[in-house]
Amino acid sequence: MQLYLPIAEMPVDPFVVITMGAAVGFLSGMFGVGGGFLMTPLLIFYGIPPAVAVGTEASQIVASSVSGALAHLKRKTVDFQMGGFLVAGGAVGSVIGVLVFRMLIKTGQIDTLISVSYVIFLSLIGGLMLWESIRSLLHSPEEKQKHARKRRSPTWLAALPFAMRFRASALYISPIAPIALGFIVGLLASMLGVGGGFIMVPAMLYILNMPTSVVVGTSLFQIIFVTAITTVLHAATNQTVDIALALLLLSGGVVGAQLGVRVGVRLKAEHLRALLALLVLGVCARLLIGLALPPPSFFIVDGL
Amino acid sequence: MKNILLALILMITPASAANIEVALTNDRVEVDTGFAGASLTLFGAVTGLDNPASVDIVSVIQGPQTQFKVRQMEKNNLIWTPGPAHLIDSAPGLYLTYSTREIDDIAPLPVQDRYRLDADYLDIVVATHAPADENNAGLYRSAFLSEAEDLGLYRSHIGGIEFKKGALFTITAGLPANTPVGEYEVAVYLFRDGELIGSDVAALAVNRVGLERRIYDFAHQRPVSYGIFCVALSLLAGWAASVAFRK
Repeated sequence: MQLYLPIAEMPVDPFVVITMGAAVGFLSGMFGVGGGFLMTPLLIFYGIPPAVAVGTEASQIVASSVSGALAHLKRKTVDFQMGGFLVAGGAVGSVIGVLVFRMLIKTGQIDTLISVSYVIFLSLIGGLMLWESIRSLLHSPEEKQKHARKRRSPTWLAALPFAMRFRASALYISPIAPIALGFIVGLLASMLGVGGGFIMVPAMLYILNMPTSVVVGTSLFQIIFVTAITTVLHAATNQTVDIALALLLLSGGVVGAQLGVRVGVRLKAEHLRALLALLVLGVCARLLIGLALPPPSFFIVDGL
Repeated sequence: MKNILLALILMITPASAANIEVALTNDRVEVDTGFAGASLTLFGAVTGLDNPASVDIVSVIQGPQTQFKVRQMEKNNLIWTPGPAHLIDSAPGLYLTYSTREIDDIAPLPVQDRYRLDADYLDIVVATHAPADENNAGLYRSAFLSEAEDLGLYRSHIGGIEFKKGALFTITAGLPANTPVGEYEVAVYLFRDGELIGSDVAALAVNRVGLERRIYDFAHQRPVSYGIFCVALSLLAGWAASVAFRK
């Protein structure tokens, strides 16, 4: 069976697309991650134009973040004040990201930029995760206690001006820090089609020094707003949001995620992290090979 | 279908000169969400000949005229990146030919050139990015042609033309799944001993229809509303999924 995607303007096999959504949903349920950083490269490997993959992924992340965000709202584990600054920074990052995206579509460099950014992004994150998990697998629990990070904000954070009180997070810091963090995440969301929880959660824990209880809820709050803004901006300026593709991915994704969560609880956290790191590095290597090997055709024809 | 055949039979009047006429069973091809290519049937009649099956027929289906950009991949240190764009102002997005025999056996090269019976004869002009590249214009042109052939958009077929009763014939053309939407021209040429003795054209439109069209139009005509619609639908779908899986 074939289904013609209205925006990507290409026929796809809907079962393959749903399976892709389910596979990434399974992994994201199992590892507790968003999955955008896996879905976008997978869509590119399948042949979806990279620009459409990124734009569409933004809208899919909106959908897949809803249930988590609602749960955290109900449990009141969202720091709205912090979230507001993160969203503000994210909105600016998203606008700039979409404008850069538009410029690169015009010059024909967008596909390269997406692939290169992914290689950098995935190799950094995959490398760090692998390092962390190897360390924690080698060290005994007692030693881990010793190595445990001291929860203290870096000194430059305290030096930033306009410090204010964040009651839900019990912090007294400058809003410039969450705005800057939100900005980076907004750039990533609009240029790579990722939620950015990957970067935001560790940064909130170890840089902003937010309490663990509000970190996930607040990051989901930011992700849902920023990916929604990014979706509208991509649709408005680049016409790269394929809602048919997004819904296909989503229908596979929700089922996959449910199964993934069930499998994930049976595995050890260290093992999970090592597995995820290997997966991330694998995707990264595949992208790098795609960039470095001589292309199948030495000419690209736009418009065919 | 019967009516068309009847109409064609009525068309065949004992004219003095040989000629060819063509009609489409359907002059509108609809591309919807399930579009996986279409089969197009052309009905035609050869008139004014005693033995119609002794002649050759060439059919050319081409359209819509579109702008293209050709980029050459360049090695940049480790990776391959696309180079500057060279513009092709106008070329058909689809070009299919059907012929009773090898075209070279049907008509001499100058005649093939005059009626553009092969993609090689199409007026595809490449405006190079920099004047220095002008010598490579032919390279970009052939790159365009081979890419179009690889995608199944430019193709020549031998066969597909079937003579029915007497002067009547049908041409069965296959439009690929990636057929671009737009206006097409379907031409038939009648050859005898390498000489063109008749021709006819018909128009064909390939349109988007159904949900596929609505989504496409919505996204391109009211992009902001479409973006908001996508977000709303995503929120709704995400919420529905969370309700469905709640225990």
